[in-house]
Amino acid sequence: MTVSLEMSDPDASRPFIEAAEPTHPSLLDPTHQMDALFGVVNIPNVVWIDETGMIVRPAEPGWPPGDHYPEWLRSMLNDRDAQREAKAAEMEATDPELAAKIRGGQVRAAYPDAIRDWAAHGAESRFAMTPDQVVASSQDRPQDKSAGAAHFGLALHLWSTGDRDNALAHFREAHRLQPDNWTYKRQAWSLVGNEAAGGGELGRFNQVPTPGQEHDWPFESDFATDAGATPAGDYYPRTLDV
Amino acid sequence: MLVDSLNMDPEAFHEGTGWEIKPEGACKGDVCVPLPDGFDLRSTAERLGMAIVPASDDDADPRMWAVGPESLTGRALVSAEAPELVLQDLDGNPWRLSSMRGKKVLLVAWAPY
Repeated sequence: MTVSLEMSDPDASRPFIEAAEPTHPSLLDPTHQMDALFGVVNIPNVVWIDETGMIVRPAEPGWPPGDHYPEWLRSMLNDRDAQREAKAAEMEATDPELAAKIRGGQVRAAYPDAIRDWAAHGAESRFAMTPDQVVASSQDRPQDKSAGAAHFGLALHLWSTGDRDNALAHFREAHRLQPDNWTYKRQAWSLVGNEAAGGGELGRFNQVPTPGQEHDWPFESDFATDAGATPAGDYYPRTLDV
Repeated sequence: MLVDSLNMDPEAFHEGTGWEIKPEGACKGDVCVPLPDGFDLRSTAERLGMAIVPASDDDADPRMWAVGPESLTGRALVSAEAPELVLQDLDGNPWRLSSMRGKKVLLVAWAPY
């Protein structure tokens, strides 16, 4: 099943769900329970749960097969992979650690086959983890991250009641305490970006300051700056052993 | 979990956090944390590593608090047993993760941003 991590009303998620014509349950998670309960920190993230209700892989980056991607998307992803490989090759001699991080992202193409392997072999699949492995490889969570989640919960509530300034203050605290939580950042950036874009179908994908109005941007960072400075292996870390 | 009072009963705590208060302590999945002084929100939250954050700096009347998720083990999951997850679909129909028992489940998080 799919879960949309969007605080706004269901109409924000509706066009995407309706376009997908899902035959599985498609649900809404306006309070980001997936972050608190499962350790989701980015999208897309996938959790595997077996027939008895035991998690066999904790939240990790994962994708559907790309067979249905439109040609422009496939070509964009291929171009990006080629650029990353070129960058990694360039860094290899001077900064091998960075080169490894650039190459360390989850292998998109291998993910659907891993799911199929588990569907066919269950607990015998080499991708199914033991309970101890599941707990140990779930997101790390020191007390600061609990506080970050609390600030994020307050921010969502205050934003929904129109208390924008206090909401933004709590968003900033959430980002400071959970700097690696991309859903906390992208949710907040998209709310402000959508305002600036005046809504519209793609307003929520506007997650950077409007050129010329940078001083109005209420956050220390934005999608282009943060994602640009984050190697692929940190943005979608490789957890699948392929 | 958002609360408008720090006086909370164990049932509401269970509903809001997934931690059930039993004679042996606060329990989730196969994990129980003893509560030698019994249940109250502040001391239980402290034992579970849950931050309590006020909505405003007005100490006399913050109006609202948020209780963060547990952090006692340093990991997001304290147990591999999937927690209950209660969500709604586009039409407001409720759905529970526990209703999927007997099937393999892929829980896929996405967002329109």
